[in-house]
Amino acid sequence: MKIRVWGARGSVPAPGPEMVRYGGNTSSVQLLLDSGEQLLLDSGTGIRTLGLSLAAAPRVNILLTHLHLDHIQGLMFFPPCFRSDAEIAIWGPASPEASLEDRIARYISAPLSPVEVRELPCSVSFRDTPPSRWRIGSATVVCEAVNHRGPTLGFRITEGDTTVCYIPDHEPVLGTELADLDPEWISGYDLARDADLLIHDCQYADEEYPAHIGWGHSGMSDALTFASRVGARRVLLFHHDPLHSDSFLDRLRGTARRRWEELGNDPALVEMAMEGGELEVAGTALPAGVPA
Amino acid sequence: MAVMAARAQKPLELILARNLLTSLSTPAFLVDEKAQLVFYNEAAGALLGRPFEDVGRMSPEKWISTYGPIGEDGEPMPLDDLPTTRAIRNGRPAHASFRIRSADGAEREIASSAFPIVASERGSSGAMILFWPTNDQGSEGDE
Repeated sequence: MKIRVWGARGSVPAPGPEMVRYGGNTSSVQLLLDSGEQLLLDSGTGIRTLGLSLAAAPRVNILLTHLHLDHIQGLMFFPPCFRSDAEIAIWGPASPEASLEDRIARYISAPLSPVEVRELPCSVSFRDTPPSRWRIGSATVVCEAVNHRGPTLGFRITEGDTTVCYIPDHEPVLGTELADLDPEWISGYDLARDADLLIHDCQYADEEYPAHIGWGHSGMSDALTFASRVGARRVLLFHHDPLHSDSFLDRLRGTARRRWEELGNDPALVEMAMEGGELEVAGTALPAGVPA
Repeated sequence: MAVMAARAQKPLELILARNLLTSLSTPAFLVDEKAQLVFYNEAAGALLGRPFEDVGRMSPEKWISTYGPIGEDGEPMPLDDLPTTRAIRNGRPAHASFRIRSADGAEREIASSAFPIVASERGSSGAMILFWPTNDQGSEGDE
């Protein structure tokens, strides 16, 4: 399974000369399965350039964790939306209030948008994520509500013996302490358990978090404590605060690696998500006798 | 690793409810969708005479045999009449007054309100139960 990051920024796009290496686009991750299919995780502004890279007549599945603007803003500028040969399935959290299509149409409609969803020339379907696991191509997908402001999902995607978990907006430490907490009380635990790669919220440096408790995001040490508790093998810290420059994130990377090592893990296996960054993820072979 | 192990984690709404109850000074319980006691806070521990960490999760039957809710008529309260059971069964808040027996053997009169926790996808996830002592001198819960 191959991962490409097209947007790693949180909250709002943050372009500028100090944001060149980590990038200013908001949440967008492309997951290329070994079978050749692909899943697009969230549709922040990074999905615009992702869409330019897609071949003709694309068939894509977009998995939305939630509908905050930094996770859907790129959808209206996703080039396949304007191609009649494109087939797009958009998966997102169900709501008793309105359908997924109607909720997204609040953004893709006047006066915020020059086009309406019904005017898009592509073939687009809106699907509530099912409560149990489901298959997209060769992947098995599981979603679960996680602790963030408003209904928000995390995704666990498994192909063969490889599992990637994506929880870009998550504050599992809110109102509790992660280090000694029984796993059954940890938000996101089942989703991220033993993942080969965990892509997780790291909006704040530790010293910034106390001023943002309850905002729905994680400080660096909390993100790594969560990753360690769930047994993630590799961690990609994601959803960078729009105030964090390249040099700030370089320093945070160094601190994160030391912290990850203190938690008993290989410091080389924690990384800051970077726009344009690619990762190859391989699973861990199961011990003999363990059913897949 | 492809294996999705057996579920270890509670639904998010129960996790959030537990985090809330932890920070309350009002005695409070949390039960799952089967009315199994899964948590009570420090204030409830003070009321019952034992912290949750010493007791652990408990079936409704065990809860009744341990703490013996006694109705206003002096008889043990049937499980079906407990606010917890009614809240989960009916999906609506339920209220009752009864006596409980704490770990030191003392009986206390309490009022109890149970609030169902319902998630749109899953239905009932359990209930939150708040307690107010009604016979303690000087208690803020006196009625």
